[in-house]
Amino acid sequence: MALLILLPSACTGAPEGRRIITLNGAGATFPLPIYTEWIHLYSQQNPSVIINYQGIGSGGGQKAILDGTVDFAGSDSPLNEEHYRRMPDLQMLPMVAGAIVLAYNLEGVDSLVLDGPTAARIFMAEITRWNDAAIARLNPDAHLPDAPITVVHRSDGSGTTEIFTSYLAAVYPEWEEKVGVGKAVEWPVDKAGSGIGGKGNPGVAHAIQITPNSIGYLELSQALENDIPFADLINAAGKRVRANAETMQAAMAAMAGAFDERFTARIVNAPGENSWPIMGYTYLILHMEPEDCAKAKALADFIRWAITDEAAARKAAEMGYATLPPEVGERVLEKLAEIRCR
Amino acid sequence: MGGVRFEHRYTYRKAVNIIMLSTTGLLTLLALIPLFWVTGYVIVKGGRYLDLDFFTRLPAPLGQPGGGVLHAIEGSILIVALATLFSAPAGVLIGYYAARHPNTPLGMGVRFATDVLSGVPSIVVGLFVYGVVVVRLHTFSVLAGGVALAIIMLPTVIRSTEEMVKLVPPSLREAALALGAPEWRTAISVVLPAALEGIVTGVILGVARAAGETAPLLFTTLGNDNFEVIRLAKLAIGVGASPWEIARLILTQPVDALPLTLWKYSQQPYPERVNQAWAIALVLMMLVLGLNLMARVWLAYRRRR
Amino acid sequence: MGQQSNLKRFWRHGDALWEALLVALALAFLVLVLHIGWMLWQDSELSRRAFGWRFLIPTAISHWNPAKGLFQAWPSIYGTLVTSLVAIVLAVPISIGIAIFLAEICPPWLRLPLNYLVEMLAAVPSVVYGLWGIFVFLPTVAVSAGNFLAATLGKVPGLMALFHGPIPTSGLSRLGASFILTIMIIPTIAAVSRDVFLAIPREQREAALALGATHWEVIWDVLIPYGASGFLGAIILGLGRALGETMAVTMVIGNSVEGSYSLLRPGYTMASIIANEFAEAVKALHSSALMEIGLILFGITLLVNVMARILVWRVSSRVPGR
Repeated sequence: MALLILLPSACTGAPEGRRIITLNGAGATFPLPIYTEWIHLYSQQNPSVIINYQGIGSGGGQKAILDGTVDFAGSDSPLNEEHYRRMPDLQMLPMVAGAIVLAYNLEGVDSLVLDGPTAARIFMAEITRWNDAAIARLNPDAHLPDAPITVVHRSDGSGTTEIFTSYLAAVYPEWEEKVGVGKAVEWPVDKAGSGIGGKGNPGVAHAIQITPNSIGYLELSQALENDIPFADLINAAGKRVRANAETMQAAMAAMAGAFDERFTARIVNAPGENSWPIMGYTYLILHMEPEDCAKAKALADFIRWAITDEAAARKAAEMGYATLPPEVGERVLEKLAEIRCR
Repeated sequence: MGGVRFEHRYTYRKAVNIIMLSTTGLLTLLALIPLFWVTGYVIVKGGRYLDLDFFTRLPAPLGQPGGGVLHAIEGSILIVALATLFSAPAGVLIGYYAARHPNTPLGMGVRFATDVLSGVPSIVVGLFVYGVVVVRLHTFSVLAGGVALAIIMLPTVIRSTEEMVKLVPPSLREAALALGAPEWRTAISVVLPAALEGIVTGVILGVARAAGETAPLLFTTLGNDNFEVIRLAKLAIGVGASPWEIARLILTQPVDALPLTLWKYSQQPYPERVNQAWAIALVLMMLVLGLNLMARVWLAYRRRR
Repeated sequence: MGQQSNLKRFWRHGDALWEALLVALALAFLVLVLHIGWMLWQDSELSRRAFGWRFLIPTAISHWNPAKGLFQAWPSIYGTLVTSLVAIVLAVPISIGIAIFLAEICPPWLRLPLNYLVEMLAAVPSVVYGLWGIFVFLPTVAVSAGNFLAATLGKVPGLMALFHGPIPTSGLSRLGASFILTIMIIPTIAAVSRDVFLAIPREQREAALALGATHWEVIWDVLIPYGASGFLGAIILGLGRALGETMAVTMVIGNSVEGSYSLLRPGYTMASIIANEFAEAVKALHSSALMEIGLILFGITLLVNVMARILVWRVSSRVPGR
């Protein structure tokens, strides 16, 4: 039995504390900053559980858990039916929500506002210069340069992209027809020769930083942390809003009932005067019938901690994420209790 | 008049000669500019961010200052050591075989396969090891990274062994055989030691190349911010694990390596990470160039003796 | 006596075991290399069956759309070819110059340090070139060169498609990748060419010198034609390195599946699209398409290396006494 103890995925009846638990996960970069913080905090309280989360993109996380190469995955994009057929015991649990912002690099422009159709037309390459009439009309006071717009998008399969493209499709029907919604799409700006790809949210932030006159979509905390300016948006109610805790909570409250039977929800273009229009939950994907009980228990403990612990919630809010509404948190805890190891 | 033309022609030819010869010198200088530029920049930028923490601490959470790359240093050492363990003994024996049987189908096959493998892009080796090791072990791991880098190192080791064994005078081998030593003893205690300097040089060059490789690790080791051998071992000893179990635990963990971490950090918006990327570049350059220099100095020293 | 024959038997046994070990290892090595090719072939079956030749050849609009399951490799094949060819065009004159300098001109005391330096150039890890490329080289050299090319060649009718600007202000582009590749393949071509020069027999030089040729004429009219196939081999080896280079290129090429053919635009190469997308290729067809790109890379590098070996071997086998 001693030999079995440390097999990567052996179910052993070892007594508690008789083995080291290592939990390896990979996936979305959207929650990467908060996950690394949480893991850091948690490991100080529980030094015998070693958690590793690598930001390789939502698509990467889904592939890893489906190929069975990680213990859990992170994703902002729901699994599809084919994935559930391949692995029926997978469950997605929302962990935290975040906003996506349009971050830009424009010298001398500290404040910018865009509406949905204008944003979509920039990503369609229909608007190609910063001093285009459509942008100028919304920003009469900004000193917009007469320069071509470089559009930064993700080069990897990304849940952030899926949330963002679903927003563009919601506000600009032509986007749905010509481009579509997904983790990776064929960017019209690439065909037009004005697009650049960045790997992960950090890669996009980095590309925006090094590219003057660029714009790209980015998870809020990574724009805040790196002092990259981002645009205000005109929301579904026609009001100008800024991405912050208040507007995020408003959007989540407005779409609290949006969860489907797989426990996933889309919260883009939310109604309400004060709602930030581009938001998404980020999920952990785990097995409901895991082979390794000890690992499953440790993972459930970590998730429970992340959702209920006050310090964890404070950290999330500090960094620009929105914590789960209480009733959603309750449902996550219920799901955790249903985990049965094989 | 012909004389004048000849003079003219001669001057012209001399001028061309001097211009072209100095051009080659200038081209050599031109090609070395990037080397000095890269090295200088890496030393200046990276040197500023090298401190004790860099070598002794795990990464800080994203966006926070401080922390180090201990995880990647340990990972690199483990992966490269494993790769050397896998590739050096086997590579030396395969190279010896190719040198001893140059004209048999198998010998020619080995030589051809060595050429092919040395040309295969390292990313393709990563794809291969993902399918063969990672998916079967159900985890990204030190082990998979070691296998991938071993495949990268093999051609270098095989080729240098083969060339060196061929240079050993046949009389040496024949003398040993004539004294009644069997073939295997002759190989192990006469032929290979005679070729040792070249073989060791080949292995060191292979290690240097492997230590700087990133592409084969992308799909095999994934990365692990919390990989720390001593901590893992302490925890394992704490629960009464045997050495074998500890080794197993460590070898099946996902892991980072210096070049992989450098690649990840270079695409980050966080300034601390980018600074650390430069520091990693400095360490990597010193490591790789140092190994190269070591190989040469050692060779020169042995040759002199 | 009995003991002695036992010992003899053991030793003979030892030889059989030794031979068996060597043969087994050699065979295992062959199987390993074959297995790599075989796995790429097998795992790309889905993609080969779905797309056939359309996967490889240029079409009016090329798709690389994981969402819709449409994959055509042409843009990345083009990216690989164009960056490698530009790198070769830039690297060959410089490398041959270095080889001439090292083999024919350089004073002996300088030869050893210069040889070391050129080898150091080859030993710098590819990620380090990438890092330096992103932050130092691209924003300065590649951007200025790109702007210059866009303003000059970009206006020439036949070349417009190739040099259509503007280059992104970060310098992330096919041109940037070509420059980095140039730096990386120079040492390969230079080192092999230097060896070719050194392998050419003295008599060739002496005969020409005796006829009154200048040093340069000896090099240009005698040595270069004499070693031509060797230099070609060196160039092809450099090409092989450029085609397969992954990390540095992935870091500086901008990673975008573009319709444009321009050198000044971001693009993809075969190796960089694998590096970027394989880890997240959830769909079987997507990962199969990437495997097929791996297979093409495997095939191309195989071909290139075999050609180079044959050429280098031809020139060195012609040299007597080597």
